[in-house]
Amino acid sequence: MRFDRNRIADVTFGASALVTGLAVAAIFGFLFLFALPVFTGGQGLSILSGVWNPGRGQFGILPMLAASLCVALSALALGWPLALGLCCGIRGFLPRPIGRLLLMLLRGMTAFPTVVYGFAAIFLLVPIMREGLGRGSGLSWATAGLVLSLVILPTMALVMDAGMRQTERRLRLTGAALGFTREQTLTHLVLPACRKNLLAAAALGFGRAIGDTLIPLMLAGNAPQWPSAAWDSIRTLTAHIGLVLATDSNSAAYGSVFVAGCLLLLVNVTVQLCLRSLLRTGETA
Amino acid sequence: MIVCLTMAMTLSVSLASAAPLDAFKGKQGTVDIAGGTAHIPVMKEAAKRIMTVNPGIRISIAGGGSGVGVQQGGEGLVQIGNTGRALSSDEVAKYGLVSFAFAIDGVAVVINPANGVNALTAAQVKDIYAGKITNWKELGGEDRAISLYTRDEASGTREVFAKKLLAKGDVAPSANVVPSNGAMKTAVAQDPGAIGYVGIGHIDSTVKAPTMDGMTPSQENAANGTYTITRKLYMNTKGEPAGVVKDFIDYVFTPEGAEIIRASGYIPVAK
Amino acid sequence: MSRPATYFVRTAVWGAALIVPLALAALTGVLVTRGAGALDANLFFGGVPALQAMTGRIPVWDGIWPACAGTLSLLGLTMLLALGPGIGCGIYLATSTASRAKAVLGFAVDLLAGIPSIVMGLFGFTMLLMLRRTIAPNAGASLLLAACCLALLVLPVLVSTTRAALESLPRQLHLTGAAMGLGKWQTLRHILLPSSARGILGGILLAAGRAAEDTAVIMLTGAVANAGLPAGIFSRFEALPFTIFYRSSQYRDALELEQGFATTLVLLVLSLSLLAGASKLQRTLEQRWQGIRDDD
Repeated sequence: MRFDRNRIADVTFGASALVTGLAVAAIFGFLFLFALPVFTGGQGLSILSGVWNPGRGQFGILPMLAASLCVALSALALGWPLALGLCCGIRGFLPRPIGRLLLMLLRGMTAFPTVVYGFAAIFLLVPIMREGLGRGSGLSWATAGLVLSLVILPTMALVMDAGMRQTERRLRLTGAALGFTREQTLTHLVLPACRKNLLAAAALGFGRAIGDTLIPLMLAGNAPQWPSAAWDSIRTLTAHIGLVLATDSNSAAYGSVFVAGCLLLLVNVTVQLCLRSLLRTGETA
Repeated sequence: MIVCLTMAMTLSVSLASAAPLDAFKGKQGTVDIAGGTAHIPVMKEAAKRIMTVNPGIRISIAGGGSGVGVQQGGEGLVQIGNTGRALSSDEVAKYGLVSFAFAIDGVAVVINPANGVNALTAAQVKDIYAGKITNWKELGGEDRAISLYTRDEASGTREVFAKKLLAKGDVAPSANVVPSNGAMKTAVAQDPGAIGYVGIGHIDSTVKAPTMDGMTPSQENAANGTYTITRKLYMNTKGEPAGVVKDFIDYVFTPEGAEIIRASGYIPVAK
Repeated sequence: MSRPATYFVRTAVWGAALIVPLALAALTGVLVTRGAGALDANLFFGGVPALQAMTGRIPVWDGIWPACAGTLSLLGLTMLLALGPGIGCGIYLATSTASRAKAVLGFAVDLLAGIPSIVMGLFGFTMLLMLRRTIAPNAGASLLLAACCLALLVLPVLVSTTRAALESLPRQLHLTGAAMGLGKWQTLRHILLPSSARGILGGILLAAGRAAEDTAVIMLTGAVANAGLPAGIFSRFEALPFTIFYRSSQYRDALELEQGFATTLVLLVLSLSLLAGASKLQRTLEQRWQGIRDDD
């Protein structure tokens, strides 16, 4: 039998695809496997209660979930409009050279390591927040939210830009025919047409924000309490995992880490499903 | 290469008294150390000297706190697990750990140097950490909100602090959590309204330690009993140590090791 | 004509165009002003002569050279592990016709891309526990474990850039191969891969950049504060991002803090150069096929 290179190639690539698929399945599988004993063992659903106080045997991670959501949503609330603004600027609201510079800046920001953001923010932003707000220690929800919005900005902006570029190319003539200026074309034609793309960027940003570890770990204070004010010190699920694994030894605390991991995975799956449904309908439009 | 080797050997001979480090000559091995963060300066200096004499020995040092020391030492993930507290009988029974106390360290409350307060009582500290006292002006300081800093749950330093100063009282859930002695020191040094607690060996000019119930926190006072909030620093191994690990532990108990311990700010304890 | 809408967008534009560069300049400015002073040989080698330090003859304890070496070894090992599956998967997605499998795999890759890095580190940690309980009771946190987890982390980057590079080639190229009677593998090897090589290479650099800067994964699988030069793949190691993280909360004096700032600059330069290389490569790929594609 001849050495059929094509067949071997097919098999090899298929194998790598299989490996990738298996890896994903393994990650989900193992984490759920390790999280299961928490529910079936003595603790039951108390892991989802609202108080974290290991000294008294309370291992509720709900405050952490709330903190993750609060930080991610506030980062999104600040970052998404900024990303949109930058995109519109690049696509026509600003003079071309400035637009090009901004695009380069955005691309550069994707390579900015998050740990470096955190490091710089500890020494620049934390004192400002502390003195400026007059309350709290500077390590807070607000501080983490501000820096996180910078972290997720480039991802969202680049996704928006990719979508807007295509749509703008399509609609430029339409706008010209209607007598619109470039700015008006963007505002009234391109943006509405790109709606799905903009939402997808938001979903992507949210996913990225909720999954970030270092910014909340370094800047949010890590107190396991329910977030109530912007200057409160809070602990996100990701920071919780990092802290507990780096320092704790109690097996009950360990269990909470796996549950936290599963919660994060669930959020990830939800975000991905949203993205898929958004982009799929966008394609057929 | 021979020149470099000779240089390294002459350097090591002149650096320190040859006797204790001789035990490491010509040996190979790995020693992974993890656990209490108070121990790190001592471990680091000892490892530096040993590895300079004999690069064939690899020593890695991680922090994590006493909880990690017990867990990783017990599971065998590291050869030496450091703790800043005595092991509980459960831990000894579960993991079969052998403890070696090598230093005395005190635990003191620290505040920012800019803070005007100079003396605190245990009752005040208890109320502060419970969240009942929230402003420094209630203690005679300036009008500034108190920022609480505490350690993670598995910290030996925290356990000593909770047992001896808080008398098992609660820590308010709004307290910022930091993962090590070094981190606590940095946090308090940077925040003018901060209050925290560290091992006395970590106290330097960047933080201020007010007197506690009239006792001045210092290592001498910790050693002679005037300052009562103390704990011993332990190295723990799974079973009796052997080989390079045993050599390392023995080295810490030599006069040279005692010198390192003193330089790091602790009081050495005989084996 | 609804003017308010345009004005609204215009304010957003100008606001963003001012705030974002300002914020970035402030952050970078802090790093440069407080760290540039410490950028010298002492930062890297801590007083040990350069040649001895680099070859490991004398251990470096107060410098970041072991962390640099650790990051580079980690990068190398990660890319070694991730290249095969990553590029293979990307080729599969770009050239396969089994649409059901493609959809499932595409979804799996997207899921993988969205997994938070700390969860990936947690996975590595659980793998370690599993290994210790079953087949390798002496396994420990190590360079190999960290590299495996990082490889999983950067896999989606490789897959999507390979796939995009191949799919961005003009359709004519795929047909050219068939027209010459070449089989699938031969088309790939002689026509498609060489043409998209730049894009794939760009993807490799992007993945490397991602691997170099990640902290959460290595924090849980083998990075420690002090370990000297990496001594084989089964040992613990130091890495630049972890050193930065550690220094941020636990510096012992002003010099260490200044060196911490300088270390962030080093990592920043590393990440930015990898990104610059990647962009350059990808742009030349685009330009090469621009003319042909516009005719499509």
